[in-house]
Amino acid sequence: MNRGYMGKILNVNLGTGAIAEEVIPDELYENYLAGMGLAAFLLYNRIPAGADPLGPDNILGFLPGLLTGTGSFFTGRWMVAGKSPLTGGWGDANCGGQFAPAIKRCGYDGIFFKGISPKPVYLFVRNGKAELRDASGLWGKDAVETENMLLRESGKNARVACIGPAGEKLSFISGISTDRGRLAARSGLGAVMGAKKLKAVVLSGAKRIPVSNPQEMKKLSKACNKWVQFQPPFVSGPMTAKVGALLRIMPTQMAQDGMLFKIILRKWGTACMNQMSIEMGDSPIKNWTGSNKDFGVEKSRATNPDAIIERETIKYHCYSCPLGCGGICTMKGEYTETHKPEYETVLALGGLCMNDDVESLFQMNEILNRAGMDTISAGSTVAFVIECYEKGIITKEDTGGLELKWGNSVAMKELVKKMIAREGIGDLLADGSKFAAERIGRNAIQCAMHAGGQDLPMHDSRNDPGYALHYSVEPTPGRHTIGAQLYYEMYQLWRRVKGIPKPKLFYHKNVKYDPADKATRAAACSKFMNVVNGAGLCMFSAFIGVHRLPIFEWLNAATGWNKTPNDYMETGARIQTLRQAFNIKHGLTPKSFVVPDRVLGREPLVEGANKGRSVAIEPMMRDYWRLFGWDEGTGVPKAESMQQLGIEAK
Amino acid sequence: MSYTITEKCNGCDACTKFCPVDAISGERKQLHTIDGALCIECGACGRICPEGAMKDAGGGICVMIKHSQWPKPVFDKKICTSCNICIESCPVNCLALSGAQSRKNPHGYPYIHNAKACIGCGFCARECPVDAVAMAGG
Repeated sequence: MNRGYMGKILNVNLGTGAIAEEVIPDELYENYLAGMGLAAFLLYNRIPAGADPLGPDNILGFLPGLLTGTGSFFTGRWMVAGKSPLTGGWGDANCGGQFAPAIKRCGYDGIFFKGISPKPVYLFVRNGKAELRDASGLWGKDAVETENMLLRESGKNARVACIGPAGEKLSFISGISTDRGRLAARSGLGAVMGAKKLKAVVLSGAKRIPVSNPQEMKKLSKACNKWVQFQPPFVSGPMTAKVGALLRIMPTQMAQDGMLFKIILRKWGTACMNQMSIEMGDSPIKNWTGSNKDFGVEKSRATNPDAIIERETIKYHCYSCPLGCGGICTMKGEYTETHKPEYETVLALGGLCMNDDVESLFQMNEILNRAGMDTISAGSTVAFVIECYEKGIITKEDTGGLELKWGNSVAMKELVKKMIAREGIGDLLADGSKFAAERIGRNAIQCAMHAGGQDLPMHDSRNDPGYALHYSVEPTPGRHTIGAQLYYEMYQLWRRVKGIPKPKLFYHKNVKYDPADKATRAAACSKFMNVVNGAGLCMFSAFIGVHRLPIFEWLNAATGWNKTPNDYMETGARIQTLRQAFNIKHGLTPKSFVVPDRVLGREPLVEGANKGRSVAIEPMMRDYWRLFGWDEGTGVPKAESMQQLGIEAK
Repeated sequence: MSYTITEKCNGCDACTKFCPVDAISGERKQLHTIDGALCIECGACGRICPEGAMKDAGGGICVMIKHSQWPKPVFDKKICTSCNICIESCPVNCLALSGAQSRKNPHGYPYIHNAKACIGCGFCARECPVDAVAMAGG
């Protein structure tokens, strides 16, 4: 059947060494797509309630999207899913690179691991044969060394996903690396791989990925590409800070068309936001206690987008991406090459810690990538411990002599290395700020900026309250890759999906803080991103709007289905409800994911871009839960809603 | 669907050397067979078989083509988006991405880095979403 998906998964039991293919019925793809949805269905049904995330019952899945390899653009994202040791509930992480099509080329829509191997192993799949191989010689190696060694052994057409030392040491903020340091970083799934003693997955396949209507796929892709290639000259790097300042000063704002973001993303990558975000109030500063007043243009200048791409030797494109926001950069010091640091990394280890030493950012980026540790969580945890140190909650004795003052980049770099190695205070910090705060006690939790254990990303909800809502209500809490008021504007879903509101073109900023109607937008974002993650698309591509990114049309052309955008949004709702049900099955209380008061502007900041702003999250959470058919007081999916979506409760 | 081998096969082994997915098996000088579950229909076996013993997925008899005349991909940089689809689609890994073109155009572009390995399957041309790859020669 030519439907864009492969119709099979591979199940690997690391405890027994048994490897078996499993046929997935068409109906499952129709109800859940592939990627996120397929993972949600299988893991909800197969991971027993109360399973230890680091135990043999947890299942770790690697999944491409339904559209991966179908002639569509932007579909090089792969998904890792499992029970998260960080949140204790549904865990997923997403990554680009060249690994997604490799899974499908081996003939699978997913590879799932359960059990624990008695010794370090890696999975090797080539031409229909899958085997577990000894990885003792790789254990302890960083992600780049591991990948290089495996490619030497397996041939250059192989693709590798692996963990570094952080995953081996079961850090709850460790991720899974591919293409020499690109990470599926969030939710701590590197630790699940480490606990299973699975060092790597190495894939080499050449299977064809048949689609229902290849001509239509090409036609759609060509039309989409015209938008991507539209690249008028825009502002210079230093000008972005001025644009940010202008956005801060104006009392009104304009509904954003994501084409503007696309243009600067293509030029600079996410570095385009390094200064602009601080100036407009999107970047949390000084562990969410500061603002652009504390970390102004002088401090952020070294990270302005022109300065970052000065070091870029070549643009990096993930598989099937015509845009190429990534880059390979050179630098001086311990390491000489790294993936271009993302905005999140630059701010988490920069402004959030008051660090303006750009060399240290490049070095820490590579150190963390090689270790396989999430730069967002690592940065947020470093900011947490600096605040604890500055407040006297911990002392120099606790830090092993490190002077953990705001902006001390030398001490930060040492600390990051200790976290990776779980040495001294690093051991206490290696699982993110929430676990660290619990270990420290003494009210350190006041300094931990997390949602459900997941450290918060670099988007300030006092600037866009949509972030606070998504951080707090998503089954994978603390994520910036699902929705926000800004994202709703950019997705432009109302152009294809019936029954959802079109935002006003101009509005007063105060409108953002009125909770009325905001949950409707957030729910639409959540549903839509489940479709995006089921299809394997990149979130950045979705920013150009669904009238330019033909996701629904691609899905129909690849599969031969005739679904409407509203049908796909219902699929998104089904996936969201199932992920929420996963958390309930595993004993989590959705309310416990609410972000800390500081993140909500309680007390509000007294200066800077977000001065006086606070977020009324409670009514938005109630509305959001109600819109999904979940109990509006508890966030638990109602039995009748589950039934309506065809979900069998476990 | 898959390629198949007819009784004309004399077991010369030429096809097994070119099959990129190890789908063909058989003793030397004995009739060979193709594992339909592995075959990707690249057509290399059909192009190399001197006996005309290969049938394509539609049942047509394949015609041998001199190896030096197998078609090779040609890339149009003006249309190419550097998206890597062609490189990834190649079953013999004969394509690679170049270094950055220039400071002004820092993207890399696909090229044949191992022409000898190319089996002329044309998957790169077929999968390119913007038709920036064409098969030439042969």
